[in-house]
Amino acid sequence: MSELLKITNLSVKAEDKELLHNVDLIIDEGETHVLMGQNGAGKSTLGCTIMGSPEYTVTGGNIYFDGEDITEETADKRAKRGIFLSFQNPVEIPGVTLSEFLRNSLEQLTGSKMKIWDFKKKLHAAMDVLGMDRAYADRELNVGFSGGEKKKAEILQLLMLKPKLAILDETDSGLDVDAVKTVSKGIEEYRKASNGTLLIITHNAKILESLTVDKTHILADGKNAKDGGGELAFRVLENGFGEVL
Amino acid sequence: MDKIRLNVLPSPTFGQLGVNFAERAVGELPSDKIWLEGGCTDITGDAVCSIAAQNGQTVNIIQFINTDKAAHIKTEINAEKYASVSLVQVFACQAPLISQLETKLDENASFDLSQLYIGGLDTVSEIRTTLGGRLSRFNADIAYTLGTGSKLDINLIADHYGKKSVSEINVGGVLNEGSDKVFKGTIDFKSGASGAKGHEKEDVLLAGDNIRNRIVPVILCAEEDVEGSHGATSGRIDDDQIFYMRSRGIPDEQILNILARAKLARVIGKIDDEQVKQRIFKALGWGDLDD
Amino acid sequence: MSEKTQINDIDRSLYDFRFDEDESDRFTSGITPEIISEISKEKNDPEWMSEFRQKCLRIYEKTPMVKWGASIEGLDVDNIVTYIRPKSRMNKDWDSVPDNIKETFERLGIPQAERESLAGVGAQYDSELVYHNVRSEVAKSGVVYTDIESAMHDPKYAEMIRTHFMKLVPPTDHKFAALHGAVWSGGSFVYVPKGVHLDIPLQSYFRLNAKGAGQFEHTLIILEEDSYLHFIEGCSAPKYYEAGLHAGCVELYVAKGAKLRYSTIENWSKNMYNLNTKRAIVEEGGKIEWVSGSFGSHVSYLYPMSILNGRGASAEFTGITFAGKGQNLDTGTKVVHNAPDTSSYINTKSISKSGGISTFRSSVVVNKNAEGSKSSVSCESLMLDDISRSDTIPAIDIKTDKCDVGHEAKIGRISDEALFYLTSRGLSEEDARAMIVRGFADNVSKELPLEYAVEMNNLIGLEMKGNVG
Repeated sequence: MSELLKITNLSVKAEDKELLHNVDLIIDEGETHVLMGQNGAGKSTLGCTIMGSPEYTVTGGNIYFDGEDITEETADKRAKRGIFLSFQNPVEIPGVTLSEFLRNSLEQLTGSKMKIWDFKKKLHAAMDVLGMDRAYADRELNVGFSGGEKKKAEILQLLMLKPKLAILDETDSGLDVDAVKTVSKGIEEYRKASNGTLLIITHNAKILESLTVDKTHILADGKNAKDGGGELAFRVLENGFGEVL
Repeated sequence: MDKIRLNVLPSPTFGQLGVNFAERAVGELPSDKIWLEGGCTDITGDAVCSIAAQNGQTVNIIQFINTDKAAHIKTEINAEKYASVSLVQVFACQAPLISQLETKLDENASFDLSQLYIGGLDTVSEIRTTLGGRLSRFNADIAYTLGTGSKLDINLIADHYGKKSVSEINVGGVLNEGSDKVFKGTIDFKSGASGAKGHEKEDVLLAGDNIRNRIVPVILCAEEDVEGSHGATSGRIDDDQIFYMRSRGIPDEQILNILARAKLARVIGKIDDEQVKQRIFKALGWGDLDD
Repeated sequence: MSEKTQINDIDRSLYDFRFDEDESDRFTSGITPEIISEISKEKNDPEWMSEFRQKCLRIYEKTPMVKWGASIEGLDVDNIVTYIRPKSRMNKDWDSVPDNIKETFERLGIPQAERESLAGVGAQYDSELVYHNVRSEVAKSGVVYTDIESAMHDPKYAEMIRTHFMKLVPPTDHKFAALHGAVWSGGSFVYVPKGVHLDIPLQSYFRLNAKGAGQFEHTLIILEEDSYLHFIEGCSAPKYYEAGLHAGCVELYVAKGAKLRYSTIENWSKNMYNLNTKRAIVEEGGKIEWVSGSFGSHVSYLYPMSILNGRGASAEFTGITFAGKGQNLDTGTKVVHNAPDTSSYINTKSISKSGGISTFRSSVVVNKNAEGSKSSVSCESLMLDDISRSDTIPAIDIKTDKCDVGHEAKIGRISDEALFYLTSRGLSEEDARAMIVRGFADNVSKELPLEYAVEMNNLIGLEMKGNVG
């Protein structure tokens, strides 16, 4: 299988503070990886850096996607390559409806105009998978959404945009059991329909249950602490970091 | 004495509202400066006061302004790097008064201003603070209670030059029957003041007929990377509050008293001098309050 | 027809909101009584109007120049040809409009808009109304939509015009109101009879075309009891090198229980001085809704005013101002609560970019007799770069204790988080910024009929092109 994402020797800082030190990571196409670590270990920093957040500055190392160096690329170019980040705290955009935004985004990624009717059909199908009320399509993007609704809206975008690599940054945190089920269902659907590649940042076993985890990576203090197979993730979830590190 | 324009609004607006300036007769100020270094000072007539806080110094000052004849008071403050100045001004006079307070803040300097206006006849008060240095801070807590015939015109200006400078302005008070208040508050973000923040709020409790309440909360902005807000409310006691207090057995005439006191207590609570507090209670006619 | 005489009875000081004036700055104008007489003759003014014009000229000459935040130094009133008349008369039939004029309107899409969804179009080309039509069913309901010149000579409306014309905006209001009274030309007269609800909007489209020309159209709308009207005014002008002046006047009379929505998308060319005066008086239980988008002009002073004159009357103002390069747009609104239980709701947005200056200015006055009134003001400003300017100058003047007034304002910029979120979904930074700005302007666009909302969004898209900070 070919390497989809390759990170070598990556160091990252934000506001004069170095948050990641010489991190390496390789994800092959079609695989599901789990990224773990205690609070402040640098998981979200890594996720956001892969997406190209301007908040973080790469001070060393490289990020390759599909064999090409994307370290210096802006977030929209990375999105067009097929990288997707499900945000931990999706930002509110007043006045822009979810459907208007999604259609715009889809047209950017596919590079072609979409008929409103075709778009609506696709959108409704995806909403149905997640059991979302269709009225959400006309609501302002994330404005006044509850935590669960925001996460569902992120997964809805995942289903619509069909990226090659989806990074899920604690998409399951703060959700009740039913909501986690819905989110899991969405992820499963994404895997099935697009044979997508996943990098999941989580503290929760529930979301991993229905997935086959190929590899687990643990970060500590901004460094690679331990890599292992899928079973490592479940060991950590059961016994904590102390036992494995 | 010539009449001059005081309390000039930095950005004039519709003339009819009468908020662009306050015209008053102004005489000559005494040539001797009073240097204030700490504690409480009584001011009973025309005066020029000066406060100088040196590098890293902390200065706490109270001015008790109590005059029975028309007076003009000017106070200048200069706060050097990392200096911290706290000033409490209590206005308790029954004569026309002009007060001018001018403050300059250097890098990391902070200025904490508390003002209490009790009654008064015709008070014109200007507060101009220059946040010149990076990370300088200005905090203003202003409260007033105005009775029949009381007139108060406040013109507060916070000029933000320093990067990441912060101003926080809280104003609140009670307008009783026949009183007239103007509060003009301007937060001015100058070009280059990136990362600056300024917030301003005024809540006015209207408690009598024949009042006039003018509010002019201005934000001027020539810098992109700033955060500014202002809010104002003016109204009678909230019905829910009345119901709540009635349900606890408090009679209506007491309810207004309690809420009016609450507006002032916020500022009085910041004063760290029991004697001054007692004098304030006396001026407010709260003599036997076991606060 | 019942006359609304109470206009003369209300305290003049209520709406004489003058600018602060400086006595030393008077100026003379090249406009003579003879020029005014010629206009009167040309327009076949009734006697009272000829006299009124002359009176306004005298007031104009006595009134000092407006002194305000935005500079109007570039404006040379002497050189503005105040009255330019195209070579055509009023036409009811589109086919008989001269070709060059027709082309301009075709390009603006006016007749299409009319055919598709609008009840009537009054298009003003320079100073004369060249095309006017009201769909027959609208006319059948008794609604009148015509120019003021014709209405003045119609025995049914002559008296109505006389008792309302510049009664709400008196020529003493400010210098440009006086100038307007002297040289006004063209515009619209709308009369909606008691109980008539017009479901489709009436629209007028103003356009200044002659080089250096001034535009002084007058809009007079009278709504009788329990009637409803949505009036749309759109403005644009091509660019010339000499500065143009727009000093129009809008007077709106909203009777008991009536409701008027007045929408404007203004996109004058960027060398225009837009010194327009708009005012509405609202009687018992009536409502005025202003929807206002200001995109064009070099300098604007625009503060539509609502006088809430009857118990329970209300006003809503929803506005957006977009100031780009070389623009100084001083806009906002004024409300006078002059009766018990009145309410006003003001919601504005402003955007500054590429060195543009936008100022939000408002005045909410609650008079002593306005017991039980409520007012809420909310304004938000967006700075798109650090060479622009955005000022917020609201004023509240309360004279009764029995009212509730609230105000809030915010200023800020597009957050880095929002930009990252949108770009992470494939939008370029330019598109992401434009999308955020369009969302910011949503309060206005959702109040507009679709074709205008689309036009406004296109304007924003155009303004945001190449704006990556």
